[in-house]
Amino acid sequence: MKDNEKRFTLPMLESPRTMRIKFRKVGNLQYISHLDLQRTFNRVLVRAGLPLWYTKGFNPHIKMVFGMPLPVGSESECEMLDVRVEREMSDEEMLQRLNAELTDELRALEIYPAQRKFSEIAFAEYDYTIHTQGVDATLVDAIASAFVTRPLTVTRRTKSGEKEVDLLDFVHRIAVSFADGDICIHAILAAGEGNYLNPELLITALKQRFGILSGDPTKEHYRILRRRVLLADGETEFR
Amino acid sequence: MNEKISSVLKQVEKPGRYSGGEYGAVIKDKSQVKARFAFAFPDTYEIGMSNLGMRILYGVLNQDPNIWCERVFCPWVDMQEKMRQLDIPLWAHESGDPVRDFDILGFTLGYEMCYTNVLRMLMLAGIPLRAADRSDADPIVIGGGACAYNPEPVADFFDCFSIGEGEDNLVEFTNLYIRMKEEGRYSRAAFLHEAAATIQGIYVPALYEVSYHEDGTISSIQKKHDDIPDRVQKCIMQDMDQAYYPDQLVMPYIEAVHDRIMLEVYRGCIRGCRFCQAGMIYRPVREKTPELLNKQARCLYDNSGYEEISLMSLSISDYTQLEPLTRSLLEWTDRNMVSLSLPSLRVDSFNKELMERIASVRTSSLTFAPEAGTQRLRDVINKNVTEEDLLHAANVAFAGGKTNVKLYFMSGLPTETLEDLEGIATLAKSVVHAYYQNPDRPKGRSPQVTISVSCFIPKPFTPFQWEAQDTMEMLKEKQEYLGSKVTDRKVRYTHHNAKVSRIEAVLARGNRKLCAALELAAKEGFQFDAWDEFFDYDKWISVFERTGVDPAFFANRAFGLDEILPWDIIDCGVTKEFFKREREKAYAAATTPNCREQCSGCGANRLGGLRTPCPSCHKGEK
Ligand code: B12
Ligand code: SF4
Repeated sequence: MKDNEKRFTLPMLESPRTMRIKFRKVGNLQYISHLDLQRTFNRVLVRAGLPLWYTKGFNPHIKMVFGMPLPVGSESECEMLDVRVEREMSDEEMLQRLNAELTDELRALEIYPAQRKFSEIAFAEYDYTIHTQGVDATLVDAIASAFVTRPLTVTRRTKSGEKEVDLLDFVHRIAVSFADGDICIHAILAAGEGNYLNPELLITALKQRFGILSGDPTKEHYRILRRRVLLADGETEFR
Repeated sequence: MNEKISSVLKQVEKPGRYSGGEYGAVIKDKSQVKARFAFAFPDTYEIGMSNLGMRILYGVLNQDPNIWCERVFCPWVDMQEKMRQLDIPLWAHESGDPVRDFDILGFTLGYEMCYTNVLRMLMLAGIPLRAADRSDADPIVIGGGACAYNPEPVADFFDCFSIGEGEDNLVEFTNLYIRMKEEGRYSRAAFLHEAAATIQGIYVPALYEVSYHEDGTISSIQKKHDDIPDRVQKCIMQDMDQAYYPDQLVMPYIEAVHDRIMLEVYRGCIRGCRFCQAGMIYRPVREKTPELLNKQARCLYDNSGYEEISLMSLSISDYTQLEPLTRSLLEWTDRNMVSLSLPSLRVDSFNKELMERIASVRTSSLTFAPEAGTQRLRDVINKNVTEEDLLHAANVAFAGGKTNVKLYFMSGLPTETLEDLEGIATLAKSVVHAYYQNPDRPKGRSPQVTISVSCFIPKPFTPFQWEAQDTMEMLKEKQEYLGSKVTDRKVRYTHHNAKVSRIEAVLARGNRKLCAALELAAKEGFQFDAWDEFFDYDKWISVFERTGVDPAFFANRAFGLDEILPWDIIDCGVTKEFFKREREKAYAAATTPNCREQCSGCGANRLGGLRTPCPSCHKGEK
């Protein structure tokens, strides 16, 4: 039997405290959209019996703010979610309670009182693994040089229609390697509020330029993994 | 999950339908189980995950360490395209293993228009459509749920059906399978025969011979062995407090249609509306105690995190313990910001206390189902509510801040006249009028009354099972007539597609001759017929023509009272004599009291049951 009522016995905080949950979203969970993730976390937080703060009024609900969007089809080791609690419960207990309600593919890694604002996020670090037919050193070299030769144009779809952008405008640092027949790209890309690059766009650029990844999906596929979220200096990890 | 499946997830709509990995899903070591059960819902994931029957049976089968039950849904057309390209057979959701390698494949049949999906899923799985063509290596295909009460239109595609409530019966069935395999005496035929002979509610169509008269009606239904029942009696849970109920839900990541806790409060219905199949086939009424329900609700809340609990039953206000139940729920739901919802409210029971208690402030609308426009016709269908009840309920709603009221009606009911149709428009108008007369109405807002009109479909095991459905032309004319009578701008009028209702009627009252039509339909690519964008009436008619099925014979013909009905092979507890009596009373516009006021001798009490209004129902007591 769970003790989800325990939270009512805990001492009240003077004012609600914003807690930041850093979590992993990998494997099958990469296909869960932002909206669905929100719904899912709402239930996870309730199940975990955290001392959540509810909005007052007509339709009380908990407040959740996610750090930055992660497109469907990308994985991450560093997603962020802010929630508010109104009673005293230790960080360890909250983490443990959360993880009892999660699966390996959606795991809370850390929980701590939020300090910085999400608007301070400037970059994110990604690992791409591309498995495609006919990879050889020449292709890898060609990709590497495309990443250093402006422009690397890609068509981006926005609300106001299609737009051509230079992908390199969003690249802070990038390196390409060739391992076990896969193309591996390590990239630090713009991820700020007004200057955010959908990591999927890098794949689109390569598809458009090199015609890769167009065949049988069981033989040609790729993985995008967000590793770290960084501040404006492109080095310090955002917490 | 299977690698081929995950490789295409980036290319399909709503990949969350297939990705699995949900919290609460049951994963077992397949080398440690003796039978693998695939429980299939013949529609999309979002609809299937709303199905309570599946949740119950999934839980009850997985309680048994020898059985691993997984879920199967019908992949959307874009995914089916990928499956064809990459040669991926239909798979089970948890393991990704092909369904055709399972021991048993169960389909829940809740809606006739899903039949084509059942066949489509068999084709995707690579399992022969017809039971007669399956070998010992194929899974046993079993069907259950409300539509299994007339299984004849799909009889050729199923090895067997389970009639009634599956909690105990399906476990027994699966264990018989395991036992016969272990004892080395399994063969498809031997197993099915033994199941039919020893397990209540199991109907094996191949073991019964149906013969026909020249006019197409049935001349006899003969069993082929002495040791199987003449008529298959449904099984019920004697004591709903003892019946299995899940304490852990599989939590869908993508939104299900019913995404909340479904707390089943009782089974059956005391009312006896004469068109309603559910009201008859779930008899006798059996209640759960409020103490148990409160415990179940709390446990499901703790284990799911859903912030809404829906009290489910066919008519929630008829629950004798509603007061104590809501009281004990509110003790903790309020504090936890959990809201209660009570669908299926009857207008005559709707009052201020109830309204305050459910406090479903989140929506501004309320729904009621008067079903017919005049008192005369409401008496014919035994919907014992009056215009006064409705206006009273609407007034309570308005005073409580609601502005929108939705009213459900049916057209094409037996004995219906134009006056009855006009009555629908008049009734809606009176509700609008009541709004403006109500001093406590929400200030400065205008009301909206929506009338949603469906077409009457005669269903097996109802007093109206013999009735002819109106022809399509008549149904359409009536819809237009009613449209012309709705003049109030505050009244919005919507109606169901009469074409769908006609096909539904054919499938609901069909016999085995429909199997050929369904087979052809499936081969011609029919699927998702419950979805407007796929349903094609002309194609259905063409399929019927080419397989020698006259749709009017099943939909628009009044069945003879002495005729052998396709579903006579099934005993749902309620007797044919009762249905006949009720039919006569309908034509006399005489009502029948509800089961709590007085027993009308429907016969369902023969089946037993605890916490029931039925007299001498003591089978379940120890
Ligand atoms: C939840 C619900 C839904 C949900 C979930 C879908 C579903 N089919 O469950 C949603 C919102 C999606 C839905 C949609 C529709 N619904 Co609905 N729904 C219900 C509701 C409220 C509860 C059903 C339920 O969970 N019952 C309780 C469970 C425990 O019972 P059960 O499902 O029968 O399962 C038991 C047995 O039948 C058996 N069993 C079931 N399957 C199997 C399989 C095997 C292998 C075995 C052995 C046994 C077995 O064992 C189970 C445990 O005892 C009922 C009304 C009611 N209160 O009953 C209407 C009801 C079933 N719905 C109905 C209708 C008309 C629809 C729609 C057609 C509405 C529309 N016009 O779109 C659609 C059809 C969608 C679809 N593809 O099925 C009608 C059915 C009428 C009929 N068939 O004659 C009902 C009865 C309401 C009514 N009175 O009109 N519905
Ligand atoms: S036996 Fe009597 S009380 Fe019981 S369901 Fe039938 S009519 Fe109602």
